[in-house]
Amino acid sequence: MSTERQTQLVSTQSSIGSRATVAIIGLGLVVFAVSWLALFQWIGGETDVLGVGLFRLLGVCLLFIGVGTGACGFAARSGRIAATPRRSAGLLTGVLFGLLGFLVGGLSGAQTFGLGTAGWLVSAAGIGTAAATAAVFPREELGSTIPPSVFVTFVGAVITAGIIDAGWTWTPVDLSVTLIGPVVVPLLTIVASLIGVWSAAKAHSGFGARGRQSGAFLLISLSILGMLSVLVLLVGFIVVRGLDTVLTDAGVGIGSITVLNIQIPWVDVQIPFLMNVTQGLFVDVNGILPAIVGTLWLVIGAVVFAVPLGIGAAIFLTEYSESERFTQLVEIATNGLWSTPSIVFGLFGLTFLLPRISNNHRSLLGGQLVLGFMLLPLVVITSYEAIKAVPDEFRDASAALGVTRWQTIRSVVLPAAMPGIITGIILGVGRIAGETAPLLFVFPRSTFPSSVPNVLGSFEFSLAPPFVTNEALLSGGSALPYQLYASITSGHVPGQTFTVEQFGWGTAFVLLIVVLALYGIGITTRLYFQRKLQHE
Amino acid sequence: MSKFDTLSTRVHRHRPEDDGALAVLGVGFSCLLIAFVLFLTGSGLTAVPFLGFLVAAGVGWIAYQPTTAKWLMFLATVVTVMTLGLIVAFIVREAIPAIRMMGVDLLIRTNEPLWGSGTFSLAPMIVGTATTTVIAMTIAAPLGIAGALFLSEIAPSTVREIVKPGIELLAGIPSITYGFIGFVIINGFFDSQLQTPTIGNYFTVGLVIGIMALPTIVTVAEDAISTVPESMKSGSLAVGTTDWQTMKSVTIPAAFSGISAAVLLGVGRAMGETMAATVMIPHTKGFPSPLFDVFGGTGETLTTVIAFEGGNASGTHMSALFAAGVILFLTVLTLSVASQIIESRMQRKLGGKQ
Amino acid sequence: MSDIDMKQTRAESNEQRTTTTVGETEEELQSEWSAYEFDGQTKISVSDLDVYYGSDQALRGVSMDIPEKSVTALIGPSGCGKSTFLRCLNRMNDRVSSARVEGSVTLDGEEIYQDGVNLVELRKRVGMVFQAPNPFPKSIRDNIAYGPRKHGDIDTGLLARLLGDANPEEEEDLIQRSLRQAALWEEVSDRLDDNALGLSGGQQQRLCIARCLAVDPEIILMDEPASALDPIATSKIEDLIESLAQEYTVVVVTHNMQQAARISDQTAVFLTGGELVEYDDTDTIFEDPNSQRVEDYITGKFG
Repeated sequence: MSTERQTQLVSTQSSIGSRATVAIIGLGLVVFAVSWLALFQWIGGETDVLGVGLFRLLGVCLLFIGVGTGACGFAARSGRIAATPRRSAGLLTGVLFGLLGFLVGGLSGAQTFGLGTAGWLVSAAGIGTAAATAAVFPREELGSTIPPSVFVTFVGAVITAGIIDAGWTWTPVDLSVTLIGPVVVPLLTIVASLIGVWSAAKAHSGFGARGRQSGAFLLISLSILGMLSVLVLLVGFIVVRGLDTVLTDAGVGIGSITVLNIQIPWVDVQIPFLMNVTQGLFVDVNGILPAIVGTLWLVIGAVVFAVPLGIGAAIFLTEYSESERFTQLVEIATNGLWSTPSIVFGLFGLTFLLPRISNNHRSLLGGQLVLGFMLLPLVVITSYEAIKAVPDEFRDASAALGVTRWQTIRSVVLPAAMPGIITGIILGVGRIAGETAPLLFVFPRSTFPSSVPNVLGSFEFSLAPPFVTNEALLSGGSALPYQLYASITSGHVPGQTFTVEQFGWGTAFVLLIVVLALYGIGITTRLYFQRKLQHE
Repeated sequence: MSKFDTLSTRVHRHRPEDDGALAVLGVGFSCLLIAFVLFLTGSGLTAVPFLGFLVAAGVGWIAYQPTTAKWLMFLATVVTVMTLGLIVAFIVREAIPAIRMMGVDLLIRTNEPLWGSGTFSLAPMIVGTATTTVIAMTIAAPLGIAGALFLSEIAPSTVREIVKPGIELLAGIPSITYGFIGFVIINGFFDSQLQTPTIGNYFTVGLVIGIMALPTIVTVAEDAISTVPESMKSGSLAVGTTDWQTMKSVTIPAAFSGISAAVLLGVGRAMGETMAATVMIPHTKGFPSPLFDVFGGTGETLTTVIAFEGGNASGTHMSALFAAGVILFLTVLTLSVASQIIESRMQRKLGGKQ
Repeated sequence: MSDIDMKQTRAESNEQRTTTTVGETEEELQSEWSAYEFDGQTKISVSDLDVYYGSDQALRGVSMDIPEKSVTALIGPSGCGKSTFLRCLNRMNDRVSSARVEGSVTLDGEEIYQDGVNLVELRKRVGMVFQAPNPFPKSIRDNIAYGPRKHGDIDTGLLARLLGDANPEEEEDLIQRSLRQAALWEEVSDRLDDNALGLSGGQQQRLCIARCLAVDPEIILMDEPASALDPIATSKIEDLIESLAQEYTVVVVTHNMQQAARISDQTAVFLTGGELVEYDDTDTIFEDPNSQRVEDYITGKFG
């Protein structure tokens, strides 16, 4: 090989180059974060920061970033920053900047200079080609800094000069949307800061393979951060807004309960939102107790129905089934069932279950069975995985002692697989507890129920078939996710205490707590058993 | 395993009580069969044979536990498979009147009247589902793959232990909750700030569905990526490539089929997503004009039309909704089967190596 | 700087390095064997290397110098830390998050466990061949050219052709040279574009050696390279190792003592607990070991 070999193992980045690139990355990340806050309008675009409006300040920051990345490129070119650049920044980078140039050229041609179709096409193609060429043909340290530098500087200049500011609006032809400054400026600064940061990260690691790694990892990490932020935002929104509703008129007092005719003082917790029915003559604060109890019964019913079936099927598949083909068929069916849209389960319940179990009336039993059908594949899949993970040595060892297969399963395989199975069931329950779509046609009775289902007290036995009946099981009710849906779609809630939104946030909060609690338990159990296995 | 199999079959064979077990289970299964037939016909007498089955199963459990357990578990497997069959049979049966009445027009009719007054065309909803799915996957696919790479290859184990449950929680948040937030916050934002003609449009729906499909893609793709053997990655790193080069040139190509299976599953999730879309979409049937105007006033998908109108539809209208369900079900089932075939092919390819 | 110049400077610094290391070891004299002095230049120098996996210690205070252009065998019972030691030399242990390495490893006098070490450069110079053959699921050609392509030394891609600096002939030369060096050329020259997974186990392992040679390393680490192979393939690999030692520094881990005796110039014996018990000329180790424990191990009384 003709290439000169680098002797040093340690890459000595000059301290100035390293500091400069770190500074650019830091500034870029700040611009990125602030832009999101501005996009959500938690900070107004005209907020005064250091005597200038926020947007203008972001623009100035972008100017710094843009000029800085360009400078890094030239510094690397002239050897002032240690770098191991490649021959070119790469085709992908070229295509990316080509597209970016095309967009910039086209939009500014059409909008700013008012060119016609031919005009903006020419300017778009011209600038796009120029950007792609500038990215691909020079050596990497220039190709991956100059085009981004020009773009970031351009965006910075446009915003600093106020060409696009808070008062700017644009209604694109053919799109029924009006773009306004407070939205467009943050979006532009987000894109520009990302590109600037990417380029600076490459420069920081001296371009080449390691530079590309730095750039890519930075972008990937940012996108993960984005996902987690969405999670935090979702939960945060619901908690902050929902807690208010849930705690309306709540109080802790000293009450008393009577046990064997003796009054015992007792802490008396009152949370009307959780303890009241949704609609009633004497109800001040409308609660969601019927929905909570409904969800509870739905889940219990689904678990009773699906768990034995699911575990049974999983055991059969792993321990007894001798036909590869049969196992495969069941696996495909189970996975198919798992991915079946929830609304289809609703349709199925409507046409198959209701006429046969409750005379075409919506019923709790129908809801339980439909959710059970949804839970079934989840239980089969997770139990199957858990049982398969039990090492064959256990089975062989047991068989070697002359123990029958069924005894082996009962006393060796199942106990070993139990943690996995239980975790799977808890996670599955967390999923079905939040389902609305399958219930829509089989369960709800009234939008705002005024009573709580009394399942335990409604069993009636007779000698004629079907021997056992339960009125509560055969009539409909409400569940937490349905209650949320109902209050959104009906557009009003009974009573004067809550607006639709308040009631909705409260319901969403309780639903979230229920589901997250189940997930939390499931995930903790899994971690617990994983740790335990690792330490053994 | 195979040694074990022959051994235990030999133990089971030649047992005198096997005949008794067969008899009891035979009675039990006949009862169950009768019960099922009666149930299908909607008879009130279903409970009688079912009780017979329970008694037989109970007797079998006490007297011949191993055999009974085996056959009961076989039964559970059959029920699982049969559920899928029943779903297909029943929703197709309900969809037949609409298919008879509309013929191919049910799928392709594009001129008014589209929906109602005796005409039912699902074409707008198919376009709607396609549009929202495309928007959702534009968001979810790249981010999901990035997330999977991060979790399995980049993140140090401490970070991973926090992020992974976080992503799973994202999957656990109920669809209606996403819908509520989308309805109140995102729809509100687009309506008040960006002056869209209706509250809610394909874009906002696609955005929310994309976020919802994200965790599916991350988890499934992560599973696929982590099946790439460590030895293969070490082989690449040992010739002096960076982690990123190893991911691009070895890990991702080796896991490619698994990753595409993840994306297919994500597409299935996005298509089947119901509640969030139902509360956010404007429920107007038609075609956006031009087709890429995702902010326009039209909005209805296959799932939303079922959820929104299914509660009080009847006759052909209801049958048309079932037809929508059939389309949805078959498409998603195809995606699911396709992704499984792709995945098993990948397992074979990587597994065959060692 | 030309290649020759660099080698010279490196050699100079090595001499100083070697003397100091030897001096230190003589003073300490805590091990059962007196410091082993060899004729050649020191390529790798390890001193007081401790490796922990979580709370378990896998290597205890290992110090040894490895001469260049020779075969050094690491032997010992399983679990004695010999593979761990090998993986410290190109920092592959960095992949294991629970691993902690203390002590010093220098390559041509330069510490590889200091901050800011460029792992890419390190692993280009210190190649590795693994226990089980691990070719990529790509063509034979792509497997060999993988390293040089990633390092930008060779480019036949679309962009390179566009820019006019594609070097397909160079790639062709390199592939042929590497395959010949790995004694595989005759067997695969007519099917370079077939998937490498279609080769037999022994061929796959030689392909992996060729893949490693293509990067032109100075040192080749081999972790039981023949343990998954049949006797014929094993003897091919052994011949190959001996011929490679003319140009490269080879460090090979093996649990097969006959193999170590056949192929190596010097042998280090690790015993349970991660200690280096004895390190000397292979003949000395197998005929007249210093330590009783080593003798017991060699004669099969233990381990």
